[in-house]
Amino acid sequence: MKLLRAGRWITAVGFVLLAGVYLRALAFTPVERSQGLAQKIFYLHVPAAIWAETAMVLVGLASVFYLFLKDPRLDRFAEASAEVGTVFAAIVLTTGPIWGKPIWGTWWSWDARLTFTLFLFLLYAGYLLLRGAVADPGARRRYAAVLGICGMCLVPFIHFSVYLFRTLHPMPIVLKPSAPSLPGSMLATWLFSLSVFTLLYVAFVMQRYALGLLREPPAEGGGLHA
Amino acid sequence: MPDAVPQNAGFMVAAYITTAVILVAYAVTLYRRTLKP
Repeated sequence: MKLLRAGRWITAVGFVLLAGVYLRALAFTPVERSQGLAQKIFYLHVPAAIWAETAMVLVGLASVFYLFLKDPRLDRFAEASAEVGTVFAAIVLTTGPIWGKPIWGTWWSWDARLTFTLFLFLLYAGYLLLRGAVADPGARRRYAAVLGICGMCLVPFIHFSVYLFRTLHPMPIVLKPSAPSLPGSMLATWLFSLSVFTLLYVAFVMQRYALGLLREPPAEGGGLHA
Repeated sequence: MPDAVPQNAGFMVAAYITTAVILVAYAVTLYRRTLKP
């Protein structure tokens, strides 16, 4: 299957580039003075957070279109994006507390941004559990689509929670209306990391989509047989 | 006298290792699942 092979190759390239991100972040990007080396977690935490949220938006959009068009390819993409989004959300929820401990003095705080992000992870988990629990394919796709749309509605609350609530989490320093508040070398490293996380998201979704195709009977293939 | 930079490299190392482990583990599970008939 071409899609599967392409996904594997892109994953391999993504991991080589991820090693490049590690090298650049650790050896060729300056240390932030007030936070020390822990600030370098930023180069992994934020791109993972962006893709954890974007993956859920894509799940929601695919779900909306699925409910109108009943195209199984959209459902298959939503399932793939949800699984990959769960992985990125897991990275956010592990690197966040590791960064928070030396900077805030605590691993976790029940403030709006952190709680909403945990809720996003639980929604992903619920979405995947729901898909595994419903045997009838038609019902499974409809129920999952509804939950996917609910998940998409959560994402703006996560992003704007730092403006809407008093929170320990800092304001965005890159994704904000004004120019990014980062020195050029740090911004370049962050953009490199974001590109690699994007590549890994695409590669993982390609493989997971192909896995969905392999698991379904040929009659349910939906037309896109790679 | 300039302020000292915080010594917290261990947290950075832990985060980088955790991220790599999660990504590699997921890639391996995807590979293994697509090998099964």
